[in-house]
Amino acid sequence: MQKMHKTILGYVPEASPLYEVHPFVRLYFLMVVSIFPMIIGAPEWNLALILVVLVLMKYGRVSLSTLKLYVPISISMGMLILLSYTLLGGIHPEFHVVFRILGFPIYYERIEAAVEVYTRILPMIFVMVLFLSTSRERDVLVAMRWARIPFTVTYMTAMALRAVGMVIEDFSIVRQAEKARGFDPHGKSLGYKLRQFVMYIIPLMALSLRRSEEFTKAIVARGYSFTGLKNVKRPDYVLSKYPFRTRDAVLILIITGFLIGILYLRYGLGMLTLEGSVTQRWLRQWLLGGAA
Amino acid sequence: MMKPEPYVVAENVTFRYPDGTVALRDINLRFAEGDFVALIGQNGSGKTTLSKCLNGLFKPTEGRILVDGLDTRHTSITKMAVRVGYVFQNPDHQLFNSTVWDEIAYGPRNIQLPKAEVEERVREAAEVVGLDESTFEQHPFFLPKGLRQRVAIASILALRPHMIIVDEPTTGQDVKQSLEIMDFLTRLHEERGHIIVIITHDMPIVARYARRTVLMAHSQILADGPTRSVFAQTDVLAEAFVEPPQITQLAQRCADLGFAAGTLSVQEMLEQFRSLAARRRA
Amino acid sequence: MSAVIRFESYTWRYSRTKQPALDAIDLEIEEGAIVGVIGPNGSGKTTLAYSINGLIPRQEMGVRKGKVYVMGREVMAYTPAELCQRVGLVFSDPEAQFTAMTVEDEVVFGMENLGLPIEEIERRLAWVVPLTEIGPLMDKPPYEVSGGQKQRVALASVLAMRPPILVLDEPTTMLDPLGRRRVFQVLERLKREYQSTIIVIEHSLEHLIPLADHMVLLYYGKVLLADETEPFFERLAFLMEHDVFPPGVVEFFYHLKQAGEYPADAPLPLTVEDGTARLRELLGGKG
Repeated sequence: MQKMHKTILGYVPEASPLYEVHPFVRLYFLMVVSIFPMIIGAPEWNLALILVVLVLMKYGRVSLSTLKLYVPISISMGMLILLSYTLLGGIHPEFHVVFRILGFPIYYERIEAAVEVYTRILPMIFVMVLFLSTSRERDVLVAMRWARIPFTVTYMTAMALRAVGMVIEDFSIVRQAEKARGFDPHGKSLGYKLRQFVMYIIPLMALSLRRSEEFTKAIVARGYSFTGLKNVKRPDYVLSKYPFRTRDAVLILIITGFLIGILYLRYGLGMLTLEGSVTQRWLRQWLLGGAA
Repeated sequence: MMKPEPYVVAENVTFRYPDGTVALRDINLRFAEGDFVALIGQNGSGKTTLSKCLNGLFKPTEGRILVDGLDTRHTSITKMAVRVGYVFQNPDHQLFNSTVWDEIAYGPRNIQLPKAEVEERVREAAEVVGLDESTFEQHPFFLPKGLRQRVAIASILALRPHMIIVDEPTTGQDVKQSLEIMDFLTRLHEERGHIIVIITHDMPIVARYARRTVLMAHSQILADGPTRSVFAQTDVLAEAFVEPPQITQLAQRCADLGFAAGTLSVQEMLEQFRSLAARRRA
Repeated sequence: MSAVIRFESYTWRYSRTKQPALDAIDLEIEEGAIVGVIGPNGSGKTTLAYSINGLIPRQEMGVRKGKVYVMGREVMAYTPAELCQRVGLVFSDPEAQFTAMTVEDEVVFGMENLGLPIEEIERRLAWVVPLTEIGPLMDKPPYEVSGGQKQRVALASVLAMRPPILVLDEPTTMLDPLGRRRVFQVLERLKREYQSTIIVIEHSLEHLIPLADHMVLLYYGKVLLADETEPFFERLAFLMEHDVFPPGVVEFFYHLKQAGEYPADAPLPLTVEDGTARLRELLGGKG
């Protein structure tokens, strides 16, 4: 069997070429590229962005079955957006009515807006999935440390990430302990379930309090003080294992270049907007028969 | 003598975690009236998974477990909780109420007993574990660890399960405290007829208290029988990376002199020594 | 040999309790010795450990009297950083001390805190990783490895700081027998190859006895007995009165001795190997 790396979201082969890329570049990619859909209004370009991300996933040997998880979420989100823009969108006499459901008008403008919003959100999700399935917690920290974020901050982040893992584990044991005492949530009222839910907080707090006490002792015993040691420059062994190569710099430049390019196209030349996009033309043709 | 009716029957039980790891492989096991069992084996050998299957927290992927004639796969949590009690290793995972009284009453209230009955059971359970009334209004969080463990046991006892599984009752206790806990479990067993199962790494405790021992390794049962005969199977123990108590090891190394491989206590060793020495003098 | 740790009528009382946890104790620990500290829970064993590495009084509230000298200097006269380079502390629950995302990060954490240059960190890793046999784990999250492995990771991360004094507070309580044995194997190598001073607080006497040069009995805040391991266990009746439960072999030979079936002047065997040899001698000297 192939050796796999456990990432935040599933497993990726250790030989994935994306590991060659410095963690900071990956984090930069996440932060910058997920802005793109906010700038781009034209649905076809956002769909193209999804295609780019898919190609990157394929290239990074991310198992595309991870995405299956998101199919139901994506569909239900799409339905929700469509519903809230159309049925719950109110009465607007100035809009074009496409058809009526039980006498309630469904406007063309609303459908168009829903499509725009939806195609903006989708690529953001894809970018996020790409990042999470190719990065481990450690990569996030390395990226932060590389960006010269103070050690205390990255350390706190690490502890927070660590604490989340512990709480999730504790949570499942506490739930089992409740069941072992005959707690059966089936067929109980929502209020009852909520009250039981609040009860989890007591053992979870107790556990984290006791842990944090031991935890503080453990890090003090290993010479760490949050104020920093006098005259000691903290070396970064871990970071030294992640050299930042020329290629990484080039990638940063390329990503930044795309950002500037998109900004220019959108705000300098007024392109990439919904207005005048292929999708809009097509939608009009289909829903209004070119009437508007 | 009539063979006691088994209370729990596990038939060809296999358990797979959602990620595909096999934690139990084709387990067949019975627990009957009068059983005081030690479940031993390395970490990760499947002991905890097995015991969580026995009280219905986990459902077998294949095979079935019958408890008191009920199939755990189709039996509600409430019905299981009054039959098989499970005491978790860390008391902090199982204390979720703000007073000791509410903690012990939590189980009986979950199974919707009338108020008077709840009160009766709380008092009884508290008495059995030796908690006096002054602790009833205290917050379990602030009690010392030994007492927290007692509250945890009492809160299981209040459900009056016939079988009680205790996960590592002696971890973190000194020897004297360990003996106290074990003596207490023995009383529950002898005076109140509970079937007791302990999960433990403490071999001297096993030798001293458990009449029967189930040895697990690699998700399977390697040996199951009277503690004496399980500890006598040196090769099987070695395969499971388990060492018998020191006195048993001594007897086994001197087996050629006439010592029994299943020697469990210093007292037994002394008796054997004396009869062997007498025979030699004769 | 000189005393590397010295308690001089040392008393510590936690502010939350009335009784002192350690009550005017005097104790010397020799350089290069392995010392086993035993006694019932609540006797002050952990307090003793914390008093050596400065967690007491720095992280605890209480009243301190008397002196604790570590390598010739009073504990309070050290800065925390100086002290943790001299005294390494391993806790009983290794998981509580894990803060990093991989075993490797965990092990280098202490060294980074000391400000060691990268080359030195690499050199020490090359020493400590094979010693504790954690090589295959370096890339894994520390909390996902098995119990015995966790404790070796915890040990490695303390050893990497190269403290001349190592204090282990019940290092094997959470472990199964195999994990327990492997931790003691590491301690044995440390003793043999590096002559470290090691203080082990432990309930499991079976593994401790073959390793320990000295034993200390703490009993509700007092040092009741401190001696070399062999003479220490000669006082078995006294020990048993104070809730020490000896391993089977020791107890067996003690009873024989009491009944005159084992020579009164012969030392009690302390290990299974010793016991086997003695028993063969007693029963006709065969084998």
